[in-house]
Amino acid sequence: MSKLVLSGLTKRYGSHAAVDTLDLTVESGHLVSLLGPSGCGKTTTLRLVSGFAVPDGGSISVAGQVVSSARGVVPPEKREMSMIFQSYALWPHLTVAENVAYGLKLRKLPRADIERRVQAMLDTMQLRRFEARYPAELSGGQQQRVGLARALVVEPKILLLDEPLSNLDASLREEMRHEIRRLHDRFHYTTIYVTHDQAEAMTTSDLIAVMRDGKIEQAGAPDDIYERPETEFVARFIGSTNILRGRRVGEHEADCDGLRLVCESGHWPEDGSAVVSIRPHRITLSGAADGSAPGTVERAIYLGAQRHYIVALDAGPKLQVLASSDVLAHEGERVGLTLPPAHCRALIR
Amino acid sequence: MSLALNTTRRLRLGHVDLSLIPLGLAGLFLAMLVLLPLGWLLAYTVTDESGALSWTNVVELADTSLFLEPFITTFGIALGVASLACLLAVPLAWLVARTDVPARRLLRGLVMVSFITPPFIGAVAWVLLAAPNSGLLNQYYRGITGAGTFDYLFNIFSAAGIIFVMASYAFPYVFVLAANTLDRMPHDLEEASAILGGGRWHTFRRVTLPMVLPALLAGFIIAFLQAMTQFGTPAILALPAGFHVLTTKIWSLFQFPPKAHLAAACAMPLLLVTIFLLRLEKTLLGRRGYTMVGGKSGSPQLAKLGVWRWPALLLALLLLFVTVLLPNLVLVRASMLRSVSDPWTLETITWANVPLVFGLSNTVGVLKNTLVTGVVSATLGTAFAVLIAYLTARRAVPGHQVLGFLATAPAAIPGIVLGVALFIAYTRPPFQLYGTLWILLLAFLTIEMPPAYQQMQAAFRGLNPELEDASRILGAGRMKSLAKVVAPLLKTSVAATWCFVFIGAIRELSATILLTTSNTKLVSVLIYDLNEGGALGGIAVLGLVLMAVTAVVVLIANRVAHVGVMPDGR
Repeated sequence: MSKLVLSGLTKRYGSHAAVDTLDLTVESGHLVSLLGPSGCGKTTTLRLVSGFAVPDGGSISVAGQVVSSARGVVPPEKREMSMIFQSYALWPHLTVAENVAYGLKLRKLPRADIERRVQAMLDTMQLRRFEARYPAELSGGQQQRVGLARALVVEPKILLLDEPLSNLDASLREEMRHEIRRLHDRFHYTTIYVTHDQAEAMTTSDLIAVMRDGKIEQAGAPDDIYERPETEFVARFIGSTNILRGRRVGEHEADCDGLRLVCESGHWPEDGSAVVSIRPHRITLSGAADGSAPGTVERAIYLGAQRHYIVALDAGPKLQVLASSDVLAHEGERVGLTLPPAHCRALIR
Repeated sequence: MSLALNTTRRLRLGHVDLSLIPLGLAGLFLAMLVLLPLGWLLAYTVTDESGALSWTNVVELADTSLFLEPFITTFGIALGVASLACLLAVPLAWLVARTDVPARRLLRGLVMVSFITPPFIGAVAWVLLAAPNSGLLNQYYRGITGAGTFDYLFNIFSAAGIIFVMASYAFPYVFVLAANTLDRMPHDLEEASAILGGGRWHTFRRVTLPMVLPALLAGFIIAFLQAMTQFGTPAILALPAGFHVLTTKIWSLFQFPPKAHLAAACAMPLLLVTIFLLRLEKTLLGRRGYTMVGGKSGSPQLAKLGVWRWPALLLALLLLFVTVLLPNLVLVRASMLRSVSDPWTLETITWANVPLVFGLSNTVGVLKNTLVTGVVSATLGTAFAVLIAYLTARRAVPGHQVLGFLATAPAAIPGIVLGVALFIAYTRPPFQLYGTLWILLLAFLTIEMPPAYQQMQAAFRGLNPELEDASRILGAGRMKSLAKVVAPLLKTSVAATWCFVFIGAIRELSATILLTTSNTKLVSVLIYDLNEGGALGGIAVLGLVLMAVTAVVVLIANRVAHVGVMPDGR
């Protein structure tokens, strides 16, 4: 377990900066997700941390020692890190036990010691029955667990996960994200987890760093990122939201096409404009006489536990509303919406 | 705490990337392999004997008997071969891929057998069968019809004869392309057309044909190129008929006294046409939509031939019997008889040809030369292909695209052109290799580099780089990862590539014919010499030995890698 610090990290491909003066600190024993759409630089960041890529600027240090800078890198094999790959990258010519033992053999441990550690790890991952099988003879979930076992058995200083669940089907993916958090709670490795799936990041992480265009747009605890986004990009990327644009008309007030919104939190752009985010489930839908904003139901979709409405306000904007399934309104019906100031958040851009 | 690696952790500051060294060496060697000979070829084309810049060679190309006539003949023959090959291959491919004709696997297998026979041996077989006087078929014809002694049905020593023989050995290539396309073409596209109301003919014309057409044109080009660049078949069949094609003309320019400058000038158009046609083929096959996009589709709906099933099979078998089995059969026959005109009975069968061939003063040396160059080219060529394919597939070094280009470039150099170029490049200091086996080795390395490289490149592409990364992050260095992970996973591809290069090397004639001397003769050239001396029984024995070795190696390669090995017919 070691503290990992990326400072001013930059990687260019031609004139394009895949990673652009990125700063990030992963406290010892923490799990940090790099979350972002494809092409945001999160995988490049991971390749820089693992030593497969050489940075053009900035540095990476592990436990206070610089391991990467533009002047050179400690090669991957000397970093004492482990990595879980999107493709699992199990060696098809080795059995499950041989795959897991590979890293231990390289560390020249005594044979009995290797045997003991491999068996213990296989037990932890419930893979004991499959130890003599080849990877091709396992299901996707089992293969993923072998990948985890192989990475964890060497007791790395840093654990890196590169979209580890993206090749699994939906139900297995959900099961495995809890599994990954459970393993983290048990072993407490300093971990970087790369994903484009916000639910995955929310389940597994101590800290989420949302990346965009090679930079970290915002970093924080899962509830922080969700409840207190700083920018429209973050607000949209983590969960769905309504974004309203207009101009600032008071200390805490925005005018969006005639709709007056009071925002209790957030930061305002300096040019006097306003961008306001309000989550669909924070809006209350009631009869036409109630509520601050009258409008008409345009679409009503029944989702089981909830009802999803699209409401066209008289003032102009259209809003998504998530209501409990008890709140019934028909398409074309006149309704009133309440937009609580506590949940209206001003965004800087 | 983490388990420590038995290595000291250090930051390599201002490090020198060691992988630049193999790049430099590989690049240099590849450049020498390809650019040096071609550079000399160009230099010789535009200079005269004294070395002064001059257009006389190029001007002389206008001389009809030197260049224009052979050029036109070559073009005509190549067009004929390509057309005939398509005419034979396409219906056959359709039969086995798209109809319910019986014994489809057998038919496919028989076509593959045709790859075993080097075309120049096939040409000798057809001399045995259809030479105007001694040809067996003509003898039977005279026997049956009572025609006069000098009457004949077939004359293989003619343009038509050459076209027929070359087409017999070119049509399998067109067949493979056409059959693969038909196999892969999802039948639901055809069904979609039928559902939308397209009649059978309409569906064929508007859906099936446009999808097969690019492959068909590519096949046509391949057959054309083979016919244009082959030396053996025209040398065996056209020279007795008293005319030249380009390859034989170039060869004749090397007969004493050698006219290397003229030969270089004659080789240049051959090179340019080949490059042009290969580019054309690439555009045709590279078009989107040729490789079908996505989606599962079941086994294709086979056309029902009804009463025509058996006649169709019979016709296909007849075609394959004539083009594939008959020549091989006549070689077996000739190998067992003292004189090719003897009847084939138990009394006349003899082993005499075997000691005759192996009793020749140089046969053992020739076999040894062939084996040595074959093994060394295969080993070096494969090792080299692995190195370059690794560097390019992993983009391990800057400039890897140049390596890839250099490794595939020789595909555009016809064997005989390479022969001329190597002859010029290596008969002078600092590389005086003519007269040694080294020059043959260089020739084979160059000729076989593109297919070997492409096979290894495909193998590396099929290997997820994360397998290697996983090994490195767990503590194994680059070389150790190559040894423990990459090598075990690629060994079958490596073995298949080795076999491929070996077969290519032991069968090569077009470049070899210009590069051997009496001390460095190879089997292919010995066969050619025996043909000039009329020792057909001996050729049959050597030819069968060569084919047997090829067949065994192909079988091994197929077994280890399930890769269809297709030695090409140069």
